[in-house]
Amino acid sequence: MGTNDQTRSLPRGLRLVAAAGAAALTLTAGLTTPLDPAPRQARAADDGRKVLTVAVAQSVDSLSPFLAVRLLSTSIHRLMYEYLTNYDPKDNHAIAGLATKWEPSPDKLTWTYTIRSNSKWSDGEQATAEDAAWTFNKMMTDSGAATANGSYVGNFRKVTAPSPTKLVIELKKPQATMTALDVPIVPKHVWEKVSDFSEFNNDKSFPVVGNGPFTLTGYKADSYVRLKANKSFWRGTPKFDELVFRYYKDQDAAVSALRKGEVSFVAGSPSLTPAQAASLEGADNIQVNDAPGRRFYALATNPGAQAKNGEKFGDGHPSLLDQRVRNALFLAVDREAVIDKVFQGHAVEGEGYIPPRFQNYFWKPSANQKLAYDPAEAARLLDQAGYKKNGDGKRVGKDGKPITYRVLCHATDPNDKAVGKYLQEWWGELGIGVQLNCLDNVTDPWLAGKYDLAFDGWSVNPDPDFVLSIHTCGALPATPEETGATDNFICDKKYDELYAQQLAEYDPAKRADIVKRMESRLYDLGYMNVMAYPNAVEAFRTDQIRSITTMPAKAGNIYGQDGYWSWWSAVPADSSGSSDNASSTGVVVGIVAGVVVLGGLGAFAAMRRRATAGDRE
Amino acid sequence: MTTTDPALSPRALARQRRRASVARFWRQYRAERAGLYGLTVLALCALLALFAPLFVGSDVSSVTGAPGRPMTSPSAEFPLGTDQFGRDLLGLVVWGSRVSLLVGLLAAVLSVAIGTLIGVTAGHFKGWYATVMMRITDWFLVMPTLVLAIALATVMSRSLTTTVVAIGVTTWPTTARLVRAQTLAVETRPYIERAKALGGGHWHIMSRHVLPNVMPLVLAQTTLIISTAILAEATLAFLGLGDPTIVSWGGLLQDAREAGAVSAGDWWYLVPPGVAIAVVALAFTLCGRAVESVLNPRLGVSR
Repeated sequence: MGTNDQTRSLPRGLRLVAAAGAAALTLTAGLTTPLDPAPRQARAADDGRKVLTVAVAQSVDSLSPFLAVRLLSTSIHRLMYEYLTNYDPKDNHAIAGLATKWEPSPDKLTWTYTIRSNSKWSDGEQATAEDAAWTFNKMMTDSGAATANGSYVGNFRKVTAPSPTKLVIELKKPQATMTALDVPIVPKHVWEKVSDFSEFNNDKSFPVVGNGPFTLTGYKADSYVRLKANKSFWRGTPKFDELVFRYYKDQDAAVSALRKGEVSFVAGSPSLTPAQAASLEGADNIQVNDAPGRRFYALATNPGAQAKNGEKFGDGHPSLLDQRVRNALFLAVDREAVIDKVFQGHAVEGEGYIPPRFQNYFWKPSANQKLAYDPAEAARLLDQAGYKKNGDGKRVGKDGKPITYRVLCHATDPNDKAVGKYLQEWWGELGIGVQLNCLDNVTDPWLAGKYDLAFDGWSVNPDPDFVLSIHTCGALPATPEETGATDNFICDKKYDELYAQQLAEYDPAKRADIVKRMESRLYDLGYMNVMAYPNAVEAFRTDQIRSITTMPAKAGNIYGQDGYWSWWSAVPADSSGSSDNASSTGVVVGIVAGVVVLGGLGAFAAMRRRATAGDRE
Repeated sequence: MTTTDPALSPRALARQRRRASVARFWRQYRAERAGLYGLTVLALCALLALFAPLFVGSDVSSVTGAPGRPMTSPSAEFPLGTDQFGRDLLGLVVWGSRVSLLVGLLAAVLSVAIGTLIGVTAGHFKGWYATVMMRITDWFLVMPTLVLAIALATVMSRSLTTTVVAIGVTTWPTTARLVRAQTLAVETRPYIERAKALGGGHWHIMSRHVLPNVMPLVLAQTTLIISTAILAEATLAFLGLGDPTIVSWGGLLQDAREAGAVSAGDWWYLVPPGVAIAVVALAFTLCGRAVESVLNPRLGVSR
């Protein structure tokens, strides 16, 4: 009996522990940060190298510059390779990159770039015009190589390199983006060995040959990307010896790591939540950078997915093909509430497609064009479109069934879920159901057109050509099986005409005017409803980074710039005097909670002992 | 104890016997102090969940009608503070109990139902059927439950039903093994042989003789599995695999984590749902233990 009792009592204790586990988990989560007060000085590695660690919440899609489209990957390519031109960190105007000078012919159809002679590949070879010509030619001839940046070369007739320092690009039609070709120039002698550009991810042999301010030395999927400073970089050696992008799936974990000093920087993509920003603002040695972002945050509708060959696919709700319905849905979205409640002021209300940070191209609807929050008008539009309420107060589609839209949301973005809850209530009032479909990977249903609405967002470059190009008919996939550059299958003739016009317009003011008309068209169509321009809310340790360049210089962001300025310019702080960053409330809370749990366990154990007194021998 | 009044019909006799055994059960249960505490807590929680519409109303989960500012600390107006939308957390925790308890109960019932069905049939039929069933059970037993549940919740659409099914179909093997063992023990008793001799078929034996005898075990097992199911529900919701539009305790924890309440030290967002999960799971465990020791004092630990 005695041994039997022993075997029984052990699991009982274990189960008790398990039952208290939820509370313990919750409480220790709250404790981790405040109860580990001493930030570790992880910067100076054993051999004295200065390492800058950046916590990012995005994983790398591909390290091949021909395939990568994600912000993290393209930012890394900025560091690895030189582009023909770069953007000035102060005001975004085009400055010298690999090219020192550029000159159009009088008819603007032939552009001659002078390639610098002081840029060397990391394997010692000279970077020449031949490399640039090869890169562009590859993209023009191999559709696999045109996946990411094909829109830049679609209009190129011929690219040649008459001498190592001279690159000549001939165009079919004038093209306004010739000083904003965001295409990484790769070394020909390395890349000509690649056979299939749609498969090669550039992540097998390290270090990867490049000529940017940093050289890629290591990569592990969903873990880290490691780069080391290029000592012979023509603009000057970066101050940090090593740059590591470490992947944190959970932004809160990244914030904890920043508090402890394990990382120097937390990327604001997605932005820190208002609660995180508020708590970090009070912390010692941590600076929060809250800058107007270069992103828009939108609600995209499925316009009926189709391929270039006219074949329709996907299963978007047919009612969304009616512009009145799309406009009605957006009329019922209270953007002010989104800014105030979800972003808590860390965003600007959405207007046109391009964020106000790019003043030249920023457009906002006039008072009578604007779809301001007006649920009554929305209901009227829906009635007019023939989607009337049935007896249960639900609007029914043409097939007689109540309308429920499937809204695709990113499970990794808390804002999507939060806005989704609002949509559910706003549209619920209209009599329309919402089914939030939050997935870790939205790509599959997205590309297959199997959604009704989706949360969408892009980072906009100083030159808006790319973000405008993803809504043209030309960006549609060739067949339903293929992947196109299109964002959400928009194909509108009028928009396409304007797109072609702006691309051919060299006069900046006239071009901006056309871009604004495109934005106006996009706004009216209601396929892309911009709800907000989220700020880039990011934070870094001032005891590890002494200074870092924001872009633009005034109220600019640090992570995800157009250029390598932030990481190239970052100056390490002299690592001395670690300080106590414990938040006292956290400690108090942690201790109180700990005592409560321990007390509860103690009381329970005592109770158990009493209760089982009869069983024990 | 048993009255042998010849005037009573067999049916009435059986009823009387059952009443007596329920009374006996309750007397013995009362002696288990921990079980009583658990039962009290459960009764309170059940009442709170049932009458939640009266105290808090479904408006409590509305984001557009949220009464407060986001993430305010506890005050007189909001005893447990507010969440990221400015909703009252006390109300949300009370409202969340409905989902957590419902999912816990349904999932446990589903799990035990599957386990009992497989256990009884495998114990009764023996032979190749039992071998196949038990190998399947073993397979489920060695699979990590949480991983399997996550996989199921990922491939199915996100809804309450999915959560219930994901938990139900992953936690049944222990019940199946226990029930099978008990079934084997019951079927060796002489009266089963007598029933067979009198012409009782498979269905008759399983439903009239075996099932009533394994019921106490099933009851105890259900109570114990509920706490597992509630924890599993919270885990799945916390991992973001629940329906994001439904308020549950695990979902609240997930919201809190995503809103950055952990690193910001906004404890009022994290502690109440966490404590609620722990308390309810503990209460069910206590009850289950008490029931188990009353019904079958010699039986070893089930899990």
